[in-house]
Amino acid sequence: MTETLQERSPRVGDGEARTGRRRRSAAARTHPGLWLFPLPALVLYVVFFAGPTIQAFQYSITDWDGFSAAYQNVGATNFENIATNDDLFLGAATNNLKFLLVVVIAQTVLSLLLAVLLQRNSRSSTTLRALFFLPAILSSVSVAFVWKFMYDPNFGLINQVLGGIGLDGLKSSFLGNASTAIYWVALTQVWAHAGQLMVIFVAGLQQIPEELYESAALDGASQWQRFRFVTWPLIAPATAIVVAYTTIQSFKAFDLILGLGGNPPKGSLDILSTRIYTTFTNSRFGYAAAESIVFMVIIALVSFLQRRAVRLTQHGV
Amino acid sequence: MNKNAFGQPLSRRTALQLLGVGGAGAALTACAGPGSTAGSTSAASAPATGKPTGAISFAHWRAEDKDVFAKLISAFQSATPDVTVRQDISPSNDYQSSALQRIRGGSVGDVFTAFRGAQFVDMVKAGVYTDMSKQAVVQQYEPSLITAGQQDGTQYGFPYQVVFNMPVTNEDIIGTATGGTPPKDWQSFLDLCDKLKSQGLVPIAWPGGDPGNAGQLFNSMVMNNAPSDDMCAKIESGEYKCTDDWFLTTLKQYQQLKPYFQPNSTGTAVEPCQQIFATKKAAMLATGSYHIAAIRALGATFPMNVISPITTSAEKAKYEGIYNATFILGVNSHSQHQAAASAWLEFLSQPANAGEYANGTSQHVTVKGVEYTNPDLKALAPWLQKKTLLAPRFQFNNLDIRSAVEGACIAVVGGKSPDAAAADAQRVVDQQRSQ
Repeated sequence: MTETLQERSPRVGDGEARTGRRRRSAAARTHPGLWLFPLPALVLYVVFFAGPTIQAFQYSITDWDGFSAAYQNVGATNFENIATNDDLFLGAATNNLKFLLVVVIAQTVLSLLLAVLLQRNSRSSTTLRALFFLPAILSSVSVAFVWKFMYDPNFGLINQVLGGIGLDGLKSSFLGNASTAIYWVALTQVWAHAGQLMVIFVAGLQQIPEELYESAALDGASQWQRFRFVTWPLIAPATAIVVAYTTIQSFKAFDLILGLGGNPPKGSLDILSTRIYTTFTNSRFGYAAAESIVFMVIIALVSFLQRRAVRLTQHGV
Repeated sequence: MNKNAFGQPLSRRTALQLLGVGGAGAALTACAGPGSTAGSTSAASAPATGKPTGAISFAHWRAEDKDVFAKLISAFQSATPDVTVRQDISPSNDYQSSALQRIRGGSVGDVFTAFRGAQFVDMVKAGVYTDMSKQAVVQQYEPSLITAGQQDGTQYGFPYQVVFNMPVTNEDIIGTATGGTPPKDWQSFLDLCDKLKSQGLVPIAWPGGDPGNAGQLFNSMVMNNAPSDDMCAKIESGEYKCTDDWFLTTLKQYQQLKPYFQPNSTGTAVEPCQQIFATKKAAMLATGSYHIAAIRALGATFPMNVISPITTSAEKAKYEGIYNATFILGVNSHSQHQAAASAWLEFLSQPANAGEYANGTSQHVTVKGVEYTNPDLKALAPWLQKKTLLAPRFQFNNLDIRSAVEGACIAVVGGKSPDAAAADAQRVVDQQRSQ
């Protein structure tokens, strides 16, 4: 019997295991109806993202004007022109790079500085944080109009203040000076968004355990050393978010540029997004699509390099 | 469990396969050739006739004319009770950029407008204008003023406004300084500017920070310097170059004007320029007559006129000034209510209604027999008879070429040498032509 039981028990066990597996398998198998739930999101993704992206690739090898039924396939000619025969695109890319560097560095440093100074939850810090955050709730167009009048050489606040304190020599045409115009726009961007990014840093700083600072202080670390060896490595995730967000924001400063520089903006204020828009306006859809693809590649490349740089900086300290 | 068409349960794999097939289908759909969804670009036909009924959209960019159009719409709807008109207004820059795509759809702009130049050319090419050549309404317009609405002998649209794209003057100041005789050559114009400057005035308020408005002075500066009237079209076609003598002369003259513009003029927007002019700190506003109403709104009460710098000697000058016929009205070929759209266009073309628009907005119109009662329009009316050139800057169909050529003038005022500015502009022209 024992033998029999022993012989049978595995079979019973097998049956149970099979039943169990079947139950688990049935439980693991998703009810097909559930697959309908992601469908709306998938449709939206395909219609509004995947489809247009694929179309952009297709348009980029044509000379389509945006409305004619007829068009020519031009192969890689559009890309060749962008790379070798287009001062306007090159100028816009250069402006964008200058804008990006100033905004990423200045905005990150300023927002971190504000966060360090205002990280405590005292009443005055909270009030100041709210004040610095205020520009972030304004639309870019409003910000552009406010600063357009700030920068006005005749009635603008900046030149009036400079004149009022006897510094007439420092008066400038600001956006009218081709060599510096883009930096003034970058300054506006920093003003508008530093407070917003400060909030991310404040959240990051408040996650750092107080004990780490106490032990660093016991070890005789100075204020700077505490920042360098405790704060900076531990706010790496916040820094990565801020830098990535600021980079993408710098490439998308479209409405700010158009608000400050008009449509189309002068060459000295043109950045990649406004250049692509102007090309579309000029009824050169094929070429604009090729510019958009190059733009996409540049953003991907810059974002990748930046993430590497941030990681290296924070692991290397 | 759901079952498929064969009565079998729909597994995860099957569901994924179906989604994959759907996605691939969508991707293939996305690969449909460009232009395959485009509207007709075939030869335009006349607008449909019949009893005007329905709700129509009137697409334009003149937000400042909204109230005057609202009054006209009200009168039109009273006379044509089965039709309602809605204004679809976009800012002029947006209109320039995106109107064609919106109007092609047919849901907006049963009656629409176009800027003279690139936009009109594209709209004709896209087939959104109906052919108005044989419509009775053509007779309502001054033939010489509606050529900007024609292409290849077909009248597609009717330019409605006549504006003078040349500096507006404060006649109290300029009249006194010139003794009523405007400068007839370049040196006299510079002397006038010098005299005004010595009186502590800004001779010319020029919005160098606003390329659209800054470019209006370009019209006057090239009208007599260029070897032919289609100079901008020839720059675009490659026949003329920015490095040609006549264009370099123009750039050098811009350089000469620099001391007579307000300080830091390349960074000044148009609104501060209007303010300087309206408060009598500047004698001229280098934009155009289309800003007179805005100047009045700022409280200016002085008499105004327009003036064009004559950039040559008096004997060599072919033209006294610049005009533009724009706001090109048309009936949308994709409209479902073409009879109603035609009725609205005909209503606007009647002298009494055109007069209401003109006097209400301080702009001359191309409609015949209009009585101008607005004092500013009366003051400018003699310019309708003078020897003026249709604004050449709108001959450019490539906006990047236009920006490069006009940008050279701004760059020179900003301190760049004329030779370098001309070379830079020509390089962009060459690149655009070769792309």
